[in-house]
Amino acid sequence: MSTAGRLLRRRDRPRYTAKEIAIAVALLVPSIAVFVAFFYRPFLNLLYWGTFESRANGAFFERVGLRQYREQLTSSDFREGLWHSVQFVLYTVPAGLVLGILLAVAAHRRLRGIKVFQAIFSSTLASSVAVTSVIFLYLLHPVVGVFRVDWLTNPDTAMFAVSLSSIWQNMGLSFIIVLAGLQNVPDEVMEAATLDGYGPVRRLLRITLPLISPVLMFLLVVLVIFGLQAFAQVDILTGGGPAGSTETLVFKINRLVRPDTIGIGAVYAVGLFFITLAVTAVQFVILERRVHYAR
Amino acid sequence: MPADVAVDVAEPTPEEAAAGMPRDRVLGAPERGLTAATIGKSSGRRTLGLVGQYAALVVLASLVLIPIGFTLIQALSPPFPYFDAGKPLHPVAVDWKDKGWLDGGGFSVVVRTLVVAFALAWIQLGAAGGRLRHPAPLASPRRLFAVVTGVVAIAVFAGQIWQSSAERSTATPWWWLAAIAVLAATQFVGFATLRPLWKPVVLAVLASVAVTACTVVAFGAAVWNQGWDRGNLGPALGRSFTITLFITVAQVVTSIVAAYAFAFLRFPFKTLVFAFFMATLLLPLEVTLLANVQTIRELGWINSNAALVFPFAATAFGTFLIRQGFRGVPPEVHDATRLDGYGHMGFLWRFAVPLTRPVIASFTVIAALGAWNQYLWPQAVIDDERFQTAQIRLKTIVGTDITNANIAIAAALIVALPVLLLLIAFSRQIIRGLTAGAVKG
Repeated sequence: MSTAGRLLRRRDRPRYTAKEIAIAVALLVPSIAVFVAFFYRPFLNLLYWGTFESRANGAFFERVGLRQYREQLTSSDFREGLWHSVQFVLYTVPAGLVLGILLAVAAHRRLRGIKVFQAIFSSTLASSVAVTSVIFLYLLHPVVGVFRVDWLTNPDTAMFAVSLSSIWQNMGLSFIIVLAGLQNVPDEVMEAATLDGYGPVRRLLRITLPLISPVLMFLLVVLVIFGLQAFAQVDILTGGGPAGSTETLVFKINRLVRPDTIGIGAVYAVGLFFITLAVTAVQFVILERRVHYAR
Repeated sequence: MPADVAVDVAEPTPEEAAAGMPRDRVLGAPERGLTAATIGKSSGRRTLGLVGQYAALVVLASLVLIPIGFTLIQALSPPFPYFDAGKPLHPVAVDWKDKGWLDGGGFSVVVRTLVVAFALAWIQLGAAGGRLRHPAPLASPRRLFAVVTGVVAIAVFAGQIWQSSAERSTATPWWWLAAIAVLAATQFVGFATLRPLWKPVVLAVLASVAVTACTVVAFGAAVWNQGWDRGNLGPALGRSFTITLFITVAQVVTSIVAAYAFAFLRFPFKTLVFAFFMATLLLPLEVTLLANVQTIRELGWINSNAALVFPFAATAFGTFLIRQGFRGVPPEVHDATRLDGYGHMGFLWRFAVPLTRPVIASFTVIAALGAWNQYLWPQAVIDDERFQTAQIRLKTIVGTDITNANIAIAAALIVALPVLLLLIAFSRQIIRGLTAGAVKG
């Protein structure tokens, strides 16, 4: 139906009826209740609690306004947590993108038994973060592991070792997302490129990758957000150590869930919010574009 | 997304591309038969290209599989202290005779027998060119004989293999070889009609190696029982199942009704309310954790199922996804059902939901996956070991005794098993759900 027709039809009817509004309210209330109770109210609470500093180990709180935000968001502890999170993102995201493209390009062809390879490539989807962490703990553990390396106990390599488990776990997700993108590239485009004498590498770099760039962008955002929210890997593999070298921002926030540190924790959480906000904003733009195309 | 349609954009070798050969012949499925172009001098290159592609695939697959392989080996290897104590290779379940019908005794023997029989029947059926839906080729006397005697062979030998590996005796390899040889002989009978002759021989040996190994790994290793018992996985898995069920049902229902309101009803401030929904995507649990834990404390819900379920009873992602699905319902259907006298609820449950079933199915599976895999929130609101979910239970198992590598890993694999089954059963829905944001359709 054309847009004009739809507009006309809409105008013919009365704008709202009381019955429809009542039904809509009844249908929306369950979701809204959850969102208010567990999303908006806690967030407002966080903003508010951030203005209180604990005194005498949480016995009472003193209102300090924005001073606590200023102090804590510039504290070395917060910066350290942020740096560790960024480190984790820097290790996992490029590797995730490259592996995703490699796996998808390799498996996106008509060959005998390709289904088996596709199943293998996406199999890491079956592994949760906790399961993956246990697997890698016993691969890398310095005493009881398979490889018996000291990566998890050396402050310089601990974050890399933690990232390794996530890189492996994300392979399945990256693979199916990039593959979905490749399957949407029309055959004719690649045929035309082949006839124009483009070799495989040139076709990949000049045609395939630009064509699936929205998908890669989406994957990038998903991986960055996953990276910023990493917690279970650190909790199981290193417990934040050695010497706090793997304490990510979320790990620190989780540790601050105590009555005497709740003010600082609130400030950290608000900081994390603004960082994820920037990343999620990009995601939203992409989601909107998708909606536009889908119509 | 047409997941099953393999679109062909594969890379031919540069030589082939330069020669301007049609791609489907360069890469094409071998079963299409030879054409004039492939018989010529380029067929050697073509084979080389194919070998290269498979080599690349195998290298990449090993990247994925190596951690899993090592993990399996470790789960089935002696736990660390066992080395020094000179204890058996791995403790195995040969004591079913002492157990009751339901607690690992007779019942599990029946299940094991059925699984082995099914595996053998499947192999025989595959060799005969049949499928599970068309089992007719299996009915030939030779194949039935292969399946039945194969089961008997495994039953006879399995106990001996398990026994000898428990004692770490030198007899173990010989029992293994004997089991494989006897099983291969029984399977050969079923494959015997295949030509050339090497085919049934190779098939029989491969099948018997695979079936023997899988039976011993899956049923012989007591490490699975130990992981379950010592890790106390029963209650943890039960709790995980419960909250996964509740969260999934709640999310699907709230998302469907909210999506219906957004897609089919007219009410004031609709855009604003929708923005209110979508904005919750900006507030991930990691941000609100601190305050949510406080809320749960105030409600007195620490260590309760309510704490694990209610914060996840609604989701903007699901609402968005299902609303998109509802938008695909033709307006004519809506108008027609209205004329037929269906109210809003009638239209929703009888027409809108069935018409958007693929989207809803995808979301359901994704919601279940997410609920099962949760970690941060359960560990924040559960502080009593008795109420842990399976995922956070894993950390306790690791933390109690890190040297019991095989038991901890067995527990981890048991926890991953339901997701693996979900992945196998609903791979299409999962892929569609996970890529929903990435590509249209």
